[in-house]
Parts: sequence; structure tokens; C-alpha cells
Amino acid sequence: MAASGAAIGVENLDVAYGRTKVLHDVSLTIPAGRFVALIGSSGCGKTTLLRAISGFVTPQRGRILVDERDVTAEPPERRGMAMVFQSYALWPHMSAAQNVGYGLKLRGMGRAERARKVDEILELLRLQGFGERKVTDLSGGQRQRVALGRALAIDPPILLLDEPLSNLDAKIRLAMRHELKSLHRRLGLTAVHVTHDQEEAMVMADEIVVLDQGRIVQQGAPEDVYRRPNSSFVASFLGADNIIEGEVRRDSDGAKLTLADGGALDLPTAPEGHGRHVIQFRSDAVRLDDDAAGPALRLDGRIAQASYPGGRWRYEIDTPAGRFLVDDSRRASAGDAVRLAIPAEELHIFPR
Amino acid sequence: MRRVSLTGLALVAPALAVVAALFLYPLSYSLVAAFTRDGAFSLAHFDKAFELYSTDIAFTLMIVLVSTAVIAALSTAIAGTLTLSETPWLIAALKALYRWPLFIPFIVAAQCMRTFLAKNGLMNNTFVSLGLIEPLQATSFLDWRGIVVTFAWKQTPFVALLLAGAMASLDRATIEAARNLGAGRLRILIEIVLPQVGRTLMVALVLSFVTMLSVLSVPMMVAGSQPTMVTVDMAFRINAYGDYATANALGVISYAMTAIAAWIYLRHNLEEKRG
Repeated sequence: MAASGAAIGVENLDVAYGRTKVLHDVSLTIPAGRFVALIGSSGCGKTTLLRAISGFVTPQRGRILVDERDVTAEPPERRGMAMVFQSYALWPHMSAAQNVGYGLKLRGMGRAERARKVDEILELLRLQGFGERKVTDLSGGQRQRVALGRALAIDPPILLLDEPLSNLDAKIRLAMRHELKSLHRRLGLTAVHVTHDQEEAMVMADEIVVLDQGRIVQQGAPEDVYRRPNSSFVASFLGADNIIEGEVRRDSDGAKLTLADGGALDLPTAPEGHGRHVIQFRSDAVRLDDDAAGPALRLDGRIAQASYPGGRWRYEIDTPAGRFLVDDSRRASAGDAVRLAIPAEELHIFPR
Repeated sequence: MRRVSLTGLALVAPALAVVAALFLYPLSYSLVAAFTRDGAFSLAHFDKAFELYSTDIAFTLMIVLVSTAVIAALSTAIAGTLTLSETPWLIAALKALYRWPLFIPFIVAAQCMRTFLAKNGLMNNTFVSLGLIEPLQATSFLDWRGIVVTFAWKQTPFVALLLAGAMASLDRATIEAARNLGAGRLRILIEIVLPQVGRTLMVALVLSFVTMLSVLSVPMMVAGSQPTMVTVDMAFRINAYGDYATANALGVISYAMTAIAAWIYLRHNLEEKRG
């Protein structure tokens, strides 16, 4: 396994299907060896961007570079990238070993050497003994690993993953996340992973690229993007689903946030602009009946509904500012009066 | 329950009656006629059939096999192009054109081929006017080659239609996965696409094989001379001599050839099921 990654450059890419424009002026640089996740809601263009990189979609404008080499005009078979498909796309008429070895056969590798390499890959993916099985006789997780093995067998500098885990059971999916990530670390290749699962992207990737309506809206390390979303869309996409409207006023001391119903808070760091803003926060950022010091937005409310999804309680709480979802470890029942405190640093505030 | 099954029987009865009257009865009648002489079992009609027509029987099998091979190659090329080509105008043109022969009866196709393939027909005239051959080099293709060309022209669209349908229903990602790993288009057709639609190709070819075996008009019109196909001989025995017995024996031989095709098909199917 001597694979090492290649850098990918995407410059001013425009892609359209017929008259529908799917990607608008997308530019992206992925350094060699990085694991990047493309996330966004369905139809945002993430899969199209991946297919443009792999060569299955021809851009109207822009360039795609691999290690500074322009591959925009090259067909997929000459780009040296290996892709793992959502449907696995295994060839049903071949055994698991034949599937894994096909790329090596295409490269003219001799039978003996091929068999050795295939064994090595099967072992790497804990599929020893499954080589002669028909792929149709394998379980979903095993098929996924064969598909991954088929892509890894050719020692690709770039691995493209098109929602490879979305067809798996929840438990296997979690295990595969870690397997993929550790494989990536071990092999050192560049990986581009498309997913609509925010948590999957956070767990696996070194860097997250958020797309919305064919444009890149934010890019950065998972923690940065999660803690400092740069727009209301990114905040919502990453789970800050509780939304309030308010007014931001600036004065000589800093900025002050005022809610429509009268709640107010002096903000330690001033958000962009002034006037009407949307304020977003996550359900787990809220503390119930917390008297802790420090600047926080405090709201009085009443529990409308309580449920227990496991770990912590989930409450729907009615307040004068609206209904919010709150996760808390303390037990309360519907009808209880509570006081919500949302620490100032957990508030994501964007101009309207 | 009994009532329901009676209703079901009543529903299928007309269809069954038609099959029995128009197919099973004549079939068993001709089988019996082929194997009896003066009311007793006899292979005499087969002796006569082989004595007179063994060349034609071999000729028939050869023509149908060659045609089947040509049809397999052409229909794979057409369906493969429709599935794998990335040239939109080529796909559109091919799609619009390739099905036309389906709507033209064998007899009309045969008549067209007579004027197209004759010594001074359209094909040779075109070759001469293009300067590809000298007028003296022009030869008639109205022999076994003409029959093969006509069969291929008429049956390729049918096989291509079924094959293209099967290819279109494949998971597109299985094709993309092969391209992604570096396989060219021809290689994908042979190693990835064809093995997945092999059963459909087999069924379509067996159906084509059986159809071609039973065509009378094409060998009669395209290649009038000897040797010719068994269907022509059957027609001749009946029309010239009223010799139904030998015609029936020839018919049974045709059935046997069809049965071989069916056996190959079934065996292939069974193997596939066993895995």
C-alpha cells in the first residue's frame, strides 16, 4: 500500500443539466491527503460536484485540476480516481475477488500478482474467506466493503465517496465510519465524501464544505463550522433549529440584543450589522433553571411536551418568543414552568 | 373455492380450445403422419426426406446459425451504442432508424433484397458508380448470402430492441464504476454489460432462430436455386406431389432443430439458477 494522495483543485466551475444550472462558480482547493466532506440538503449540488470531479458530468465552465494538471477534458477512465457508489454498483456476474481485482486486470497486472494484491485488500477489509463468494450472496456491509476494496485495489491517489454509507443499517454505518476514517489515515490518500448526514461528515472529515443551491456557503474544520456557522442556512443545517427574531442595537459599549417580547442581552461580541436579526441555537445549548453567571439569554416558558429519546430528555417548551426544542438531563413533566438560559456564546446571530 | 376454480376454467377455456384446435391437433396429426405408413409405425418418410433433402437440411441449419451469429453481433453493437455512446446525435439517429425493419413483413423485405442484391441491383450499381468495383466484377448475392442478409436485416431490430431494453434497466452505476476504474467503452460492453444481459440476448436469439427456421418467403424469393431451405422443400412436396408424409417428416426435422435451440436455452437458464 504505497498510495499517497493528490491535490484537487476546482476553479470557477459551472454545471448545468439542460437549462437547470446546478453549480454556480464553485471553487475549491483540497490539499493532498485531506479528507473532505461535501454536505448540504438534497439538490444542493454536492453529488454533481463529486461527479464533475470524477468526470461523469461535463462542466459548462471552469477547470478541474489534479496536482496542478488540468483534467477537465479527460474522460473518467483516465483521471486515476476511484469512486465508491451509493448503490455499491458491484458486478453481479463476478465474485467478490473478481470485483476487487478488476481494476488491476485493466492495468495489465499478472494473475499471480493480482491474486496476492486482492488477498491483501480482502484482509485489510476483514473479508478473508469471502473472495470466492458471489457478491449477491453478501450482506450489505460486506458488499460495501467489497466496493471499497475495488476502489482501493488500484492504489488511487484520490478516493471519491458518494453517500457510501446511506444504505447500511445504523449499527454497521457507525462501525464503517471509523473503519473508513482509519483506512484513510493509514493509506494517506485524498478523500472526497458526499453525505447529507451532518454527524457522519463531522466524525469522518478533516474539513467540511457546506453547499446550498449550487454554491459553497462555508468551508472549514468541523469544529469551526459547527461553532461558528457563517449563515442562518449553515446554522440550521448543523442543528441550530431554534429560531427567534430580535433587534441588534450598537452603542459605545458594544451591542445589545432585544427580543420582540422584551427579553434583552448585552452581547460580548458584536454580530454583523444592526437592526433586525435572526437568532439561532441548538436544543442542547439550552440550560433549564440554571442560575449560572455569565451573559445568557433568559426566557420563561412552560413545557408543552416531554419525550425520552435516550440519554437526555427532550422537551418542547412554549415561551412568549415561540416554541423551542430543548435537550436536558433533568426530568420534568408537561405543564411545568421552567426558565431557559441560553449562554451568549451559543447564540448564532445573523442579519435578516 | 370450487366455484372460483370453475370460473377460472371457464375463462381460460376459449383460449385453450383455440390452442388445441389450431396448434395441438395439427401438430399431433403431422407427427402421427410423419411416423406412420399404411397405418403402421414406420421411418420410411424420414428415409426419403434425408435421401432427397439432407443437403438442404444442413444448408438450413448453416444459414440459420450464421444469421443468428450475425444478428447477435449487430444487435449487440446497436444496443451497446445506444447504452454507452456519449454522442447524442448518433444515439438519436440510431434510435429513430433501427426499429423500422420490425414493421416490414418478411415477404416485402425479401422482394426489396431481390432488387438490392441482384447482379445489376442497387448495391452493385452503387459500388460501380462509386468506382469500388468494375461492372464485370459484379456478382449476384441472391444465394445463401442474400438469405443471411435478409434475415439479419429483419431480425436484428427485434433482438436489439429487447437487448437495449435490458441494458437500459441495468444499474447505470455498474457501468460508471468500470469506467471509473479505467475500462474503455468496448471492454465495458463485453465484460460488464453483456454478461448482465446474457439471458435476454439468449432468449431473443432463440426466438429469432425459431422464426427464421419457419420462414418460407425469403428463401423462395431471394435464392430460388438449389440448395435451399427446408421450408421451400416442404412447400414443394405438398404443392407438386401432394406428398404430405415427406413434408411432415421434414417438419419434424425442423422441430428437432428448434428443440436443440430450446434445450441450449433451458440448460443455460438452469446453470444460471444453480449459480
